[in-house]
Formats: sequence, structure tokens, C-alpha cells
Amino acid sequence: MTATPTPTPPPAPRPTRLTPLGRTIGHVGLALTVAFAGLALGAGYWQVVRSPELTTDPGNPLVISAARNVVRGVIVDRDGKVLASNKRDPDTGQPYRVYSSDAFSGVIGYASRQFGTAGIERSFNAQLTGVSNGNPIGDALRKFELDPYDPQKLTLGISSRLQLAAVDGLGSDRGAVVMLDPRTGEILALATTPTFDNGAVANPNTAEKAFGALRVDKTQPLLNRATQGLYVPGSVFKIVTAVAGLGSGRITPATTFPQQPKAEKDGLVVSGFRIHEHPGVPSRSFDLMSATEWSSNIWYALAGMRTGGEELASFAGRMGFGNQIDTDLPTAASQVSGGGPGPGGFADEVELANASYGQAKTLVTPLQMALVASTVANGGILMRPHVVIATAGRGGIQAVAPSQIGRVISPEDAAAIAAAMQRAVESSIGRQFTTGAKVSGVPTAGKSGTAELGGSGAPHSWFIGFAPVQNPRVAIAVIVERGGRGGQRAAPLAGDLMTLFFRINK
Amino acid sequence: MTAAAVGAGLPRILGPIRPRTRWRETRLLAIVAASLVVGSVSLALTSQVADPGESHGLSLANPLHVAIYLGLLGIAHLVLILSGRRMDEILLPTAGMLGGISLLLMERLPQTQVVQSIGPWKLGLGDVQLAWLVLSFGLATTLAVTVRSDGWLRLYKYTWAAAGVALLLATFFFGDDINGQRLSLTIGPISGQPAELLKVILVVFLAGYLSENRPLLVEESTKVGPISLPPLPFLAPMAAMWAIALGIVVMQRDLGAALLFFTVFLSLLYIATGRVGYVVVGVLLFLAGSYVMYLLVPTVQTRVDIWADPFRDPTGDGYQIVQSLFAFGRGGLLGTGLGAGLPTVDGRLPIPAVHTDFPLAALGEELGLIGVMAILGLFLVVVERGLRIAASAADEFRSLLAAGLALVIGTQAFIIAAGNLKLIPLTGITLPFISYGGSSLLVNGIIVGFLLALSDRGVEPPPPPRPRSRFARLTGRVARLETPAAGRAPIAPGPSRRSPPAADDR
Repeated sequence: MTATPTPTPPPAPRPTRLTPLGRTIGHVGLALTVAFAGLALGAGYWQVVRSPELTTDPGNPLVISAARNVVRGVIVDRDGKVLASNKRDPDTGQPYRVYSSDAFSGVIGYASRQFGTAGIERSFNAQLTGVSNGNPIGDALRKFELDPYDPQKLTLGISSRLQLAAVDGLGSDRGAVVMLDPRTGEILALATTPTFDNGAVANPNTAEKAFGALRVDKTQPLLNRATQGLYVPGSVFKIVTAVAGLGSGRITPATTFPQQPKAEKDGLVVSGFRIHEHPGVPSRSFDLMSATEWSSNIWYALAGMRTGGEELASFAGRMGFGNQIDTDLPTAASQVSGGGPGPGGFADEVELANASYGQAKTLVTPLQMALVASTVANGGILMRPHVVIATAGRGGIQAVAPSQIGRVISPEDAAAIAAAMQRAVESSIGRQFTTGAKVSGVPTAGKSGTAELGGSGAPHSWFIGFAPVQNPRVAIAVIVERGGRGGQRAAPLAGDLMTLFFRINK
Repeated sequence: MTAAAVGAGLPRILGPIRPRTRWRETRLLAIVAASLVVGSVSLALTSQVADPGESHGLSLANPLHVAIYLGLLGIAHLVLILSGRRMDEILLPTAGMLGGISLLLMERLPQTQVVQSIGPWKLGLGDVQLAWLVLSFGLATTLAVTVRSDGWLRLYKYTWAAAGVALLLATFFFGDDINGQRLSLTIGPISGQPAELLKVILVVFLAGYLSENRPLLVEESTKVGPISLPPLPFLAPMAAMWAIALGIVVMQRDLGAALLFFTVFLSLLYIATGRVGYVVVGVLLFLAGSYVMYLLVPTVQTRVDIWADPFRDPTGDGYQIVQSLFAFGRGGLLGTGLGAGLPTVDGRLPIPAVHTDFPLAALGEELGLIGVMAILGLFLVVVERGLRIAASAADEFRSLLAAGLALVIGTQAFIIAAGNLKLIPLTGITLPFISYGGSSLLVNGIIVGFLLALSDRGVEPPPPPRPRSRFARLTGRVARLETPAAGRAPIAPGPSRRSPPAADDR
């Protein structure tokens, strides 16, 4: 080095508070590492946490592709009778669905190449096409199989005989029947009329015409009335009022109202609105038992007002009101009130009083009312309703275990309501309203309903009930649109169906 | 030493060659080669299962491609050995692995995604990507071996910046209009995306400017009331530079590039000054700017709305991102296996832009969460090596240059990965080393080449510090007049050392 001594070196940087570059570079490196950790977490969220849901989404190309090419799993009823199987199109070789009977069209729905899926075919599409078997570990190891599709066979809790009898009983009327086992929540029958030819929708050659006609049909056959039909409940809602009143402790089975005898004569005045009793009810004080037996609007209106809108809505909510019911099919949310500003969403005392006997802005699905009956039948505990009771595939059979939604009321309160409902079916007075609901030889409980719709048409005919009163095995809800009083159409049909149930299950 | 004997036989044009073994790189490249061969065999097996007519023996998906690619990595490795430079040994295998994953992915996708005709040959997606990979790694190796001085970068930073902006403006006025965006420029037979090259140019400029004015940027010279502001005059040219680049990018609707520029700019500013205040102000400015953009620019609004809820319109606006999430979900923990994902409906790929904007979604599906983590890890290794090179570089310019280049890779990978995973709104930029695209791959090659060259501390010492500002120059004028060459005296004189007195182009 030719070291020529430089007299004045270049101006030295002034001493400043410069951070060493190594340190700030480290900070940035750390920040980027944290950002990448965020990416890993994001990937984990979509690939592990949300994976089952994404993979079974009907819009997922995997599901669409499988639906076209895979032979779907068969669907059988609780006795192993085949309800849905497959055929191959002789021209294209592509498989399509065939169904044993139209009676199951509401619950099973359809699987169509052109029009997608509905019913159980929709909610269990992933299992039926074998895209997922609902078992995370099995799904993760699927890649090591030569054939990644493992279509599952579904076993429904539906009893074909009950289902066919229910559809038959509804006949040409529009309506719905839900029967379930109150101890397990297994749905035994889920009928909705009118039914439709779901086989015609599934067959690629007839789908266009059949589906086009169904879509414009004024009777709305594609609507599953049992789970998505919203109806005025009428007197069957009194059981909800009883559950809320006893559950909240605001009333007891012995509660009487001193103003009732007078009100029976000229009506009960609530904030200027006059509530009338239906004709024939004696003017005396009632308790829970006799009010249910006589189906007294005034007693239930008073009971509802004493219970209060908040408690009424709260106990109804515990039985499923206000939300879609967690089950295997899409459901409409039943409502207690019109969503006004008062407690429980009631606009005022008048709405609360009318709702307490089922004639305000209250709207219910038949499935919801079956759950109300089921809650009382099962000693106050509500079980999750479900249609599919087992899936079976390459990996063996997976049974769907019954699960409890929760306790709504105490066993004592449930027993008191059950006793009142038994009187409503079995006493000489009650029988006038619930004609034909009694299963001979089996203690039967129930409540009829006559949903006044205003105007000139006939009311909806309702019945909910269960049997036997001690240790019930079946609960039921029946509605026949424009079927008249509860005792006219719904109660006898319910009696027939429960009788058939006990004949099948001795 | 055998390598030395080989080197001795080479012509003298390359100078005295003293090969230096790179055993760590050799071992890592062996792992890369083994992984890619396994990947290729797996891909071949998958396609055989999909097409059961063929034999089920073990083979490579496209033996020639794999051979060419591995040969390329081998040659690059050999050239680095022969160059005798003490360079980083981990960058090349890491980038090589990412490039190999890209090659496997592009071979797995339908080859008709991209078709280029050169003379009588028709090249598909995999062929074209391989060609770009060859050019990219060739460029990286060439730069790594030949770049021994950085004077041409640091002295002409304004010229580079001007050239970059000119290139962008040229694209804006003369570029090819695709979907309302002008991102690519065609000159004769060559077509490319200048914004890609601008990333490197911007980093070179920022490194030059920041290293020179670093002490001044840290001093708080401007005081407005109680608030201490940075010396505005010194921040202005840089901010203007940044604003021009950003403005053009925004006008072209290239939001991904704008976000990338901005992040790298802020990171380098922080590295140079160590002041969190700059970052805070920068982020606030960015948020304010984004909000204004959201209100004014419909494209931005659409992007943000899609990001907020892609499932609102899963078949329209939200289609690509929903399909990306479906792909991640299908992959799950272990993935479907290479070649077994991306189910087609009517022969259509679920994600049309999978090879450019969504390669991570495809890899997430076929390699699973484990594969995504591995790929993110590889990017982090590239960034870590770059920042390590930066921290141990000989002077501030080289530090900032290396850090900036590494951050371009890391930030770009983050932006597009986060977009694919719906963590931030999707912006169309490439995933470094993996996405299909010539410009992107070449620029990635340039970055790897520079980082390798910068990692060699054995050759050229940086030039001594020059007068760093107008003020400093004024105070140093006397000294400069007395000894004109004092500021430029070479510390380690060598034959290649240039002393350009007229090179100051400020």
C-alpha cells in the first residue's frame, strides 16, 4: 500500500444516535417472521378448522364433480327398506337417482344433475357422494386409497309404514305430520303434502319438465311444510304457555284467576281489547287441568300475562323458537311474537294475551310443535331431532348418538302438563275437542288446536300429543291446512298414526 | 485438489481460478434433487391412477424436464465452485427447491393454460416455465460470478431511478392493454412487465440514497412547536421518488406492486434510521391513502368488498377467492397428493388463474397444510439468508441493498399468500420463484444473483464514504481543494478498481 499521508481526512460523520444496521435488520426480520407465522395460522384455519365445511359445500367443484360421476350411497329406512337407489342412463352411462315412493319426497328431497339437491340428499350430499365420511382422520388418510370416493349408505329413523300412512291420512289436503321418539329425538315420520315426484326431478331426461312445473305450482310441493311451513298455532300453543308459566314459577298447576267467571260471560278486557271464549265453556274458575281440558282461552291469556312476555319468549326459545332448529334438514325459525319493543318482542299486553292461546303474531313449524310435545313427554328434557340414525361406508357403520339439547322444565312440571294433556284427550269433556286422538289401550296425552285465520275460510286443524303418558315412546304433531277444528281432521289422524305405531312396535 | 486441476486447465480469460468446495450446497442440492424426483414419481403415479389403462410402474412424470432442471442446478453449483468466491451456500438450493416445486406444479396443470409457438414447436405451460427457470438461474449464476463491484449501482442511483420511471411511463403509454390494465410492454420480440424490474431498481435507489443520508435522516433538525420532525429537505427527494413510482403503479391499477413498494420502502427507511416514528407515520399515511382510494377507485372498492365477504357472490365477484379457499379446504392437513387435486367440472379448472395468482392454493390442496408450511419456510430461509448477508455486509449501501432485495422476495410472497388465504384483499402479484411468468422469474434470478455476489466478502471493499450532503460538502470544500483525491483514495488498490471523478451524476 502506497501510504501517502493525507493531511485532512474526509469529514468524519458526526457522532449521531445511529442504531447499528444489524439490529434494525433483525427487527424487520422478526416482523416478517411474525407475518409468516400469521400466514401459517391462516392456512391452518382454512385447511384444518374450516376444511370439513368447505369440502362439503355444495358449490365446491369436488362435490359437483362427484355428484355427476359417483354412484351415490343408498338411503334405507329404519327397517332396512330401500328408499333411494341408483340407475344408469343407458345412453350416457351416468348414474341417476330413483326413489321408492313420492311419500318421502319432502324428507329425502332429490339429487338432480341439472337442479342440484334438496332435503337429506342435500344436507348429506358429501357423505352420499363419498367426498367426506364425516371422520376427520379418515378424510385425511383418504389420499392413500386408490379410489378416493367412499359413498356412504344412510339409514334414516323414518318408518316407511308410518310415513306412508301419514301421507295417506293427509290425503288430498295440504298439511304435515311429524312423529318422533321423545327419548332419542329420532324422527319416525316427516310427512308433507302435497308430495312431488322426486324421481322425475332426479331423472336427467324428465328433470327439466318436472322441475319447471313444480316451481310454478301454486300448492308449493317443493316446500317442506313439516320443517319450513310457518303456521298460526291456535290452541296447541297453550302447551308452550303452560311450559313457560310452570317453568318460570309464575303459575302453578293450582293457579286460578278470580276475574275469570265474569270474563267468561262478556269477555276479558285487556287494554280495551276484548278476548272472548269459544262457546260452551262454563263460567267458573279454572286451574291448569280444567283450563287445558276445556281449552280455555281466557285462563291461558291470564296465565300468559302473569308469566310475562320475557319468560314466555325465553322458555319458547329453550324449545327452539326464534332460531332455526339444529337438525338434518333446513328449518324455518318459529316466532312467539311479532318482534315489537316490549319484553319478549311483544308489542303490548294485547299481543301477549292473544299469543298465550296461539292467536297473535305467533307462527310455528310442525316440527317445532312436535318438539314442544316431545319436551313435555320426555320429562322436560329436549332431545336433538334427527333423521339420519346411521351412516355406513368402507370404514364400517357409524351410528348417530342421541344428543340432548337441554332441560327445559322440571320432571314435576312436565308431569303436571302431561296429566292435563291426558285429560284433554281422555276425559268426556276433552274428547269433544280431540275426537279420535285416543289410542285404545294406551294412555294418551294431547292438545288440539283450531287456528283461526280471519276471513271466511276454514281454520287450520292442529293436534300435538304423545303416548303412553308414562314413559312415552312416540310424540306427534299434525296440521291439516283448512282442515277445520282440531278434532275434525288432525286429532283423528294423530290417533290413527299413534295406534299404527303401537301396532308396529308392540 | 482435483477442482483446482480442472480450473488450471481453463483459459486465462476468466482470470486465475481457484475453485473452492461448497459441500453444504452440494448436500442441500442432493436433498433438493431427491425431493423433486420423488415428487415427479408421485405425479406420474397419480396420472396413471386417473388413467387406469396404462401400466402401474414407477416412472417420472416428465423425465426430460426433471433432468434438464436438475442439470441446470448442477451446472450452477459447479460454476459457483469454480468461481472460487466465498458465497452463501444455502440460497441456491433453497431457490432451487422453490423453482422445482414450480416446475412440478406447472407440469401438473393442464399444459394448454399457456401455449407458445416457436417455429415448428408448440411449447406448453411446463415447457415454457422450464425455459424461464433455466434463464432465471442462468442469470442468477452469471451475476453471482461476475458482479465484483457495486460502483455502477451506487453511483448512478438517480440514473437508475429515472430509467425505472421512464420504463414505467413507457408501459403506461405504450403498454399492451389487458383488461384495462397496462402492465406489460412489448419491444420487438420481447415482452415483459417493467414493474417487476422496477422492484430491483427501487431497492438500488433507496439503498444508495439512504446509506448516503442516513445520519441526517436520524437527526431531528426541523422543529414545529413541540413536535420534532425529520429534516424535510432530505426526505423530500426520496418521498417524491416513491410517490412517483407509487402513483404510476396506482394509475395502472397494479395494487399488489404498490403495496410491495410501500412495504419495502418503509422497511428500508426503518432499517436505515431505526426510527419507529417513520413507520407509524408511513402506516397512517398508507391507511389514509387506502381509504381515499377505496372511496374514489371502483377497482379498489370491489377488491375490498370481495375480501370482506367473498361468499356473498361465490359464483361472480368472489369466485376466484372462494375457489381458492375451497382448494385449501380440500387439501386439509396432508393434501390430496400431487396431481390429485383441483377437480374439474366439464373439463374446467376450478381456479382459472391458478398458475399466476393462485399457485399456493393449488399447492395447499395437493401438498396440504404441511406442504404450505414447508413452502412458507423456504421463503423465510431465503429472507433469513438475505438479511444475514445484509447484516454482515461491508458497508451500509450493501447492507441496505441486500436487505431490500431479500425483503422484496419475502414481502411479495407474503402479499400474494395472504391474498390467497383471504387474510388481506387479493392483489394480482406473483408468488416468487413459483408463479408462471418470465419477468417475475428473471427478476427473482437477478435478486438471487445479487444476494450471492453481496455475500462474498472476500473481493472488493466498498468505496470510502463520500461527502454525504450539500452541507457536508460545503464544510469539506477546503479539504477537497487541498487534496482533490482524498475522498476517493482506494483503500485496497487493485487492477479492477475504477476511480470515476465524473461519475457523480447528482
